[in-house]
Amino acid sequence: MREPPYATELKPYGRALVELARERQDVVCLGADLTRQTETDLFRDDPELGSRFFNGGMAEANIVGVAGGLARQGHLVFVHSFGVFLTRRAYDQVAMAIAYPRLNVRIVGFMPGLSSPGGPSHQAIDDVALMRALPNMTVIDVADAVETAQAVRALADLPGPAYLRLKRGEIPVIFDEDHQLSLERAQVLLDGDEVVLVAAGMMLPAALAAARTLRRAGVSAAVVHVPVVKPLDAATIAAACSGAKGVVTAENHSVVGGLGSAVAEALAEAGVSCTLRRVGVPDTFAETGSRAFLFAKYGLTAQAIVDSAWEAAALAGTPPTTSDAEAAAGSYSLV
Amino acid sequence: MAVDGTATLEHRELERLAARIRLAAVRMVSPHGFGYLGQALSSAEIFAVLFGRGHVRPGHDRFVLSPGHYAIALYAVAAELGLVPEDELGSYGADGALLEAIATERTPLVDLTCGSLGQGLSGAAGLALADRLAGRERRTVAFLSDGELQEGQVWEAAMFAAHHHLDALTVVVDANGSQCDGPVRSVTTIEPVAARWSAFNWTCFEVDGHDVGALAGALDDGARAPGPAVVVARTEIFGRLTSLPDAADGHFVKLSDTLEDSVTAELEEAVARA
Repeated sequence: MREPPYATELKPYGRALVELARERQDVVCLGADLTRQTETDLFRDDPELGSRFFNGGMAEANIVGVAGGLARQGHLVFVHSFGVFLTRRAYDQVAMAIAYPRLNVRIVGFMPGLSSPGGPSHQAIDDVALMRALPNMTVIDVADAVETAQAVRALADLPGPAYLRLKRGEIPVIFDEDHQLSLERAQVLLDGDEVVLVAAGMMLPAALAAARTLRRAGVSAAVVHVPVVKPLDAATIAAACSGAKGVVTAENHSVVGGLGSAVAEALAEAGVSCTLRRVGVPDTFAETGSRAFLFAKYGLTAQAIVDSAWEAAALAGTPPTTSDAEAAAGSYSLV
Repeated sequence: MAVDGTATLEHRELERLAARIRLAAVRMVSPHGFGYLGQALSSAEIFAVLFGRGHVRPGHDRFVLSPGHYAIALYAVAAELGLVPEDELGSYGADGALLEAIATERTPLVDLTCGSLGQGLSGAAGLALADRLAGRERRTVAFLSDGELQEGQVWEAAMFAAHHHLDALTVVVDANGSQCDGPVRSVTTIEPVAARWSAFNWTCFEVDGHDVGALAGALDDGARAPGPAVVVARTEIFGRLTSLPDAADGHFVKLSDTLEDSVTAELEEAVARA
């Protein structure tokens, strides 16, 4: 694992999809406008692949249905838009045309949570909850460019449907090249037995920063990285949290129905007794604004994780302050 | 539509098949006393022609039953043609039965079906697109009902299919003018149906949906037309049966014993006459 400030990459998803499609003739790429924004211009403009790219325009319900039809005939279908439009807007279609028949369609939704400046209409704060509620659906919220590329590979051979949640623009490189994304296992990135921070997607860097701060303050803090929210690796999470005083989940998503809810269910069912705090969008619609502004305003920060851990574990004194110096200007911000 | 000597004989067989579909449907809803009988009564000729005249060759062509509520008509024609065992019809709609009242992923003989209406055409476009990508020569036939044309997704799909020139795609709309709340025209009109399809760049045929010759001719012409084609089949919810009262709920028919006897008698006569 690398140390911050993290370097960033552009279009790791788009490049990985092109690479896969060159090897696999069954791959078809669908879009609903927003081609450059979903990194699929690389696919569309590739002379070898362009004939397998179809842009359905601003009609998400239809393109999801078309994806189902193609998959029924043996194609591996990747369908793209912003997360809000593929999950909220086309929910019944995803449920009936893809999830229920258990087809090999990858629903790739960009701009998760408050990473979009576009306000509530563009902010997918409930996409994980919606997709997690569907039987047969795998739900993935990767943290960096290395995992993004690996997720495309891993999803190529996964039977059944999956929702892949991807950040747009500059994608941090957190993991080393030898990192191995697993669709089955959550990863304990840091061991610790006093507090456990369970993070997914864009909140992993903040969770790592929070853990470093807590450790400097003498608190034994673990970090569990959960790129696959469904099926949840409940065993790894329960084992890591067993005996801990406090557990904090961190997600760029509503605290209702996403990672925090999934972890709460897993811990309760495993009989793990500890105090849980969920860091995420606090059951509210947000507003327009820069990512840094929105993350700070709605509490998606390393400091919020530290404070929540301190409270959950009922630690004495005041919680330590996290250092924003770890996020150098121009790099992927931890705020 | 012109039909030659051979087709005249075929024409009569199709009419007989349609009558038998109606009779089978009445028997299927009989144990329950209610069901999606109107759907079978209005679409009997459509299913007779599609499956009885080779427009849908099971195992070869792709068939999409967009409104899953029409499963009753599919089961009836399938049993008549020996595609499902006739004794299965007796369990239609029963708990645990293979032949469910609203079609599902378990339903035999459909490549795609929807209980949530308005989704079938998108899936059909995907099936046709896949065949084109693979260079496979076969048709995708999608059966739609007129009520579901109120769903916006149908028109998204119509736009998509025309834009991509999906020549191998044919739609048949059972325009029986009936939906759950009553006559479609009284709920939210979808007229002019044919003009709307034409405006979406589909080749459109509008025929009497109880005329097997007209249906057959339109389906033949549609298969030869450039781009996707649609046959708007104008039908009546009770298939011109006189023994069902006009006031009956066409979407979900309640069939008393007396009513069942008179409908059965009328249909048995129709089968004998055909």
